[in-house]
Amino acid sequence: MAIIPLALRSAKLFRLLPALSALFVLVGIAWLLVLPLDDYSRRTYISENALLPGSVHTYFAGSEQNVFQAYREEVKALGRDASSDDIVARIGDIFKGQGLKVGVQKYKYTASGKDYEGKNVYAVLEAPRGDATESMVLVAGWRNMDDVLNESGVALVLALARYFKRWSLWSKDVIFLITSDSRAGPQAWVDAYHDMQPQNVSPLPVKSGAIQSVVVLDYPTSSSFDSIHILYDGINGQLPNLDLFNTAVSIAGKQMDIHTTLQEMYSHNDGYSSRLHTMLRGMVNQGLGHATGPHSSFIPYHIDAITLQVSGHGYHDEVSMGRLLESLFRSLNNLLEHFHQSFFFYLLLGARRFVSIGTYLPSAMLLASSFTLSAIRLWVQSGRTTTTITPACETPQRALLLPTVFTLLLHLLGAIPLYLFNTTTSTSLTTTFTNFTLLTLLLPIAISYLLHTLLHPTQHQLTLISCISLLLLGLFLAALATLNFSLSFLIAVFAVPYPLAHAAAGRGKCASAFWVLLLQVVAPTMALVGVAKYWGEEVGLILEEAAFGWVVWRMWTQVVVWCVWWPAWVCAGVMACSGWWGKVVEKKMEEVEVREEKEEKKERKEKEL
Amino acid sequence: MDRRSIIVILTAVLLRLFLFTIFPALPDLLTSRVEISTPVTSYKRLKEGLYLYEHGLSPYNGGVFHQAPLLLAFFTALPSSSIITNLVYILADVQSALSLIQIANTGVSASTPLHTSSRKDNSLPAWAVGAAFLLNPFTVATCLSRSTLVFTNTAILTAIARAVNGELLPGILALAMSAYLSLYPALCLPALILLSYDMHKRPALRVSLGVFATTSTMLFIGAIIGLLGLSYSITGGSWEFLYSTYGVHLMLPDLTPNVGLWWYFFIEMFDSFRDFFLCVFQLHLLIYVGGLCIRFRKQPLFVITSILGLCAMFKSYPSIGDTALYISLLSLYHHVFPLMRYTFFATSTLLYASLLGPAFYHLWIYAGSGNANFFYAITLVWCLALTVIVADALYAVLRDEWETERPEMRGKDVMQI
Repeated sequence: MAIIPLALRSAKLFRLLPALSALFVLVGIAWLLVLPLDDYSRRTYISENALLPGSVHTYFAGSEQNVFQAYREEVKALGRDASSDDIVARIGDIFKGQGLKVGVQKYKYTASGKDYEGKNVYAVLEAPRGDATESMVLVAGWRNMDDVLNESGVALVLALARYFKRWSLWSKDVIFLITSDSRAGPQAWVDAYHDMQPQNVSPLPVKSGAIQSVVVLDYPTSSSFDSIHILYDGINGQLPNLDLFNTAVSIAGKQMDIHTTLQEMYSHNDGYSSRLHTMLRGMVNQGLGHATGPHSSFIPYHIDAITLQVSGHGYHDEVSMGRLLESLFRSLNNLLEHFHQSFFFYLLLGARRFVSIGTYLPSAMLLASSFTLSAIRLWVQSGRTTTTITPACETPQRALLLPTVFTLLLHLLGAIPLYLFNTTTSTSLTTTFTNFTLLTLLLPIAISYLLHTLLHPTQHQLTLISCISLLLLGLFLAALATLNFSLSFLIAVFAVPYPLAHAAAGRGKCASAFWVLLLQVVAPTMALVGVAKYWGEEVGLILEEAAFGWVVWRMWTQVVVWCVWWPAWVCAGVMACSGWWGKVVEKKMEEVEVREEKEEKKERKEKEL
Repeated sequence: MDRRSIIVILTAVLLRLFLFTIFPALPDLLTSRVEISTPVTSYKRLKEGLYLYEHGLSPYNGGVFHQAPLLLAFFTALPSSSIITNLVYILADVQSALSLIQIANTGVSASTPLHTSSRKDNSLPAWAVGAAFLLNPFTVATCLSRSTLVFTNTAILTAIARAVNGELLPGILALAMSAYLSLYPALCLPALILLSYDMHKRPALRVSLGVFATTSTMLFIGAIIGLLGLSYSITGGSWEFLYSTYGVHLMLPDLTPNVGLWWYFFIEMFDSFRDFFLCVFQLHLLIYVGGLCIRFRKQPLFVITSILGLCAMFKSYPSIGDTALYISLLSLYHHVFPLMRYTFFATSTLLYASLLGPAFYHLWIYAGSGNANFFYAITLVWCLALTVIVADALYAVLRDEWETERPEMRGKDVMQI
C-alpha cells in the first residue's frame, strides 16, 4: 500500500509492526545500558601527535609561589563582594605592571526581570614568535559558578601572566581573562570578541587572533587539593574536541600525578555502575544544554574549552596547578591547526574511557524510528478506515487536511509556554509554573472535547492525527539526535508511552482514563519537576536558569521542549481521551483485519488447489 | 475566480506581510540559507550587482553577481525601499497563484482534447491548487528570502496559463522571459508548443503541427534575441553578461553548496574530466525532453510538470523553490494520486531531508564538528525523495492513461515483461 505495497498488505506483517516498534524501544534502551561495558567503549587516546602532552619540563615553582601568594592576598583583600570597578582597576593595574595590553569590557543582561551586570578585565600577551593570528585564553571568574570568591584561581592567572610574559617560546598569543562572574561574563566577552555582542554589552578595545582553545580555572580555596574535576559540556550539549580533554587528563595524571574526575563522580572506581552514572550525568547536563562552567560559552563559537576545578583535600597545592597549566599551555602552543583530529561527539564514562558517536547514536535513532514505525502502522490502518471503497492497485484516499492543520496548530501552540517562561519575572515564575501545570492537566481533555463537539472527526481522521503527530515526533527526534544526542534520547524515553496512549481510545473508557493519568507522569512539566528534584533545587530556580540561558547563552532546549515534546504530549492526551466521546470504531478495524486474513488463507488454499 | 480562491490569496498575502513585518530578521536569515538562495538567485548577490550597476561599474565585476541584466534595470527603477521590494515579491507569488488557478479551472490536467481521464471528477478544486502553491512552506521561504527564482516561477506559470488558454504569443513570450532569467525553463519549450497547439481555440483555422512548431520556435528565438539585445544595451554595450549569467548555469564556476547534486561532484572532480562531465550532466537533463514529449503526447502539461521536477533535481543550481513549483504543479494531478504507490515514503523522506539538511549544514559550517559529506548525504536523500515522486507520478499518469483506454483493466495488477 504505502511503503512496501505487497508486503504490508499482508495482515501478518502489518500485525508485526507494533511488536517491531516495541523491540526498537527495548533494543534502543538496552543499547545505551551496555555502552559502559569494556567491549563497547574504548580507552581514550591522544589523536593529535603535535600536542605532545607532558613532554616539557615545567619551571613554575619556588619564587613564583611567593608572587602567587602576594596576588592572593590582594584578591582576598578586595573580597567576593568588591565592586566590579574596584576589581577592574586593581587587576588592570597588575596586568599593566606586568607589561601587558589591558582591556576592560562592561556588560549588562536582563533575564526574567533581573539584571546581570559586571565588568570583564583581560590582558593580551603578544606572542614573541607568533603573528597574532591565533590565541589561547586562560580564564578565571572572580566568583565561580557557586558564587564563591575564586581567590586562588584569579591569583594563579595573575601569577601565570607574569610568569608566561618572561618566556620567549609562545607562538600563539595568550589572553588572560578575569570575568566578574562565571555565567554572564564569559558569554559577554566571547560574543564581543566575535563582534556578536547584544546591545548592552560593550565591544572589546583590544583583540588578538582566532581563539584556538580556552582553559578556565576554578580554584576557590586557599587550601591544598586532592584531585581535579574537569568540566567539558558546552551550551546546547555541544562538546569540545576530545583531544583537549585527554591532554588535560594525561598531563594531570602522568606528569603531575593528580587524579582527575568528571561529572561530579568524585569516587569513580571504573566499575560498571560508576561508568553508567558518569555517562548518565553527562547526558543530563548535555541534554539540558545549560552552561556547566565558564568554558561552556566558548564552545558554540567552535572554540574548544574546558574548566579545571579543584576538589577534595590532599597534598597538591597551587604550584602543582600552576605547573599543570604551564604544561597544558605548552602543549596547546604546539598545535599547528585547530583541534580536529579527535572526536567532537562522544560520551565520557570516566576520565580515560569513552564511547564514540558511531557506537551510541543507533540507540537514539532506534528510539526515534520506533515512533516512525508506529506512524507507518497508523498510516496503513487509516487507509483501511476510509468510507469510500478503493479498488486494488490504488492507494486509498485520505482526508489529510484536518489532521495536518490540527497537528501543526498544536505545535504552534507551544509558542505560548515558550514565550511565557522566558519573559515572566523571576518572582512569579513558580506560580506561573504551578498554574500552567494545572492547566495542562486539563488541556488535552478540553482540546479533545472541543475537537469532537465542534469538528466531529471520523475515526479515519483521528487515526491520521495520531499518525502525523507520531511521524513528526520521530522526525524531530531523529534530526535532534544528530545535534544533541542526549536531549533526543531523554525526550524519546519520556515519549515511549505516547504511541500506546494514541491507541488507548479504541480500548474503552477505562483504558482511556488510565492512559490520561499515566500520561501525566511523563509530561514535560513533570520532567521539569524531576530535574528540580535531581538537583535538589526549587522549580522556580530551574526556570530562572532556563530563562537566563535563553537570553544570555542562546540555549534552544526550551524550543525543543515546548514546540516538539509538549505538543506531542498534548496530542497523545487528546487521542487518549477521545475514547470518552468518540465512537469506538477500533473493534471494527480488528474485525476487518481478521476477515482479511481469512480471505488471504482462502486465496492461498484456492491457489494450492 | 471563486470566493475560496480569493480567501486563499488574501491569507497568503497576509501571512507574508505578517512574516515580513513581525520578524524583520527572518528575510535576511533565509537569504543566507544555501537551500533557498543559490549563486544564480540570491538576493544578497542581486544587491551587490545593483550597487555596482548604480555606480556605473560593470555589475559582473568581481564574479559575485550572476543574474540577468533586466533584473538590474527593474530593481533600479523601483524605489529603493524594502517595503516596495517585499510587495513586488508578494505580487509575483500572487500572479503565480492566479496562473495556477486559471490552469486548474480549465481542468486541462485531467482532460485535454486528446485524452480524458476516467478519474477527472477527483481533481482538486482550483482554490486548493492555489493553496498548495501559496501556503507551501517552501514557496513562503523562497518568497521571504527574495530569491529571484520567484520571478522565474511566475514567468513559467504565466506561460503555462497562457498556453492552456490557447494564447500562443503571450505564452511563448512568458516562457522566453523565464528562460532568459534562468536558462533551464527553455527545456519546456517543446511541451509548451504542444500544449498551445492542442489548446488552440479555433480548430477550423488549424495549421499542421510542423508549421505551428516552427513558427513558435521562431517566435521564441526572436523573443530571446530581443531580450538579449535589450540586456546588451542596458549593460552598456557589452556581451560580458552572457558568460556571467548563462555561462555560470552551464559551466558551474561557483561551487557554493545547494540542494542539488552538482557542487560536491565537481569539487571532487579532477580538472581534466570537468568538461566531459559538464557535458554529461547538461545533456542528461536534455535527453528527457524528447522521450517525455513523445510518450505523453496526449498530456503536454504533464511533460512540463515532469521536466520542471527533473530540473529541480538535476539542474546546476537548484533550490527548494524549484521543488515548490513542481509540487504545486503536481497538485493539478491530484486525480491520479490514488495510483501513486510511494506517497507516504516519499513525503516522509522529503520531510526528513528538510529537517536534517539544515542540521547537518549547521554541524558542518558553524559547529565545525561535521564535514561536507554530512550535508551532501542529505542532498542525496532529498534528490532520492524527489526522484521517487517524479517516477511515481509518471507511473500513475501512464497507468491512468492506460486504464482510460482499457476500462476493463481497472483495478487489475499489471506486470511489465
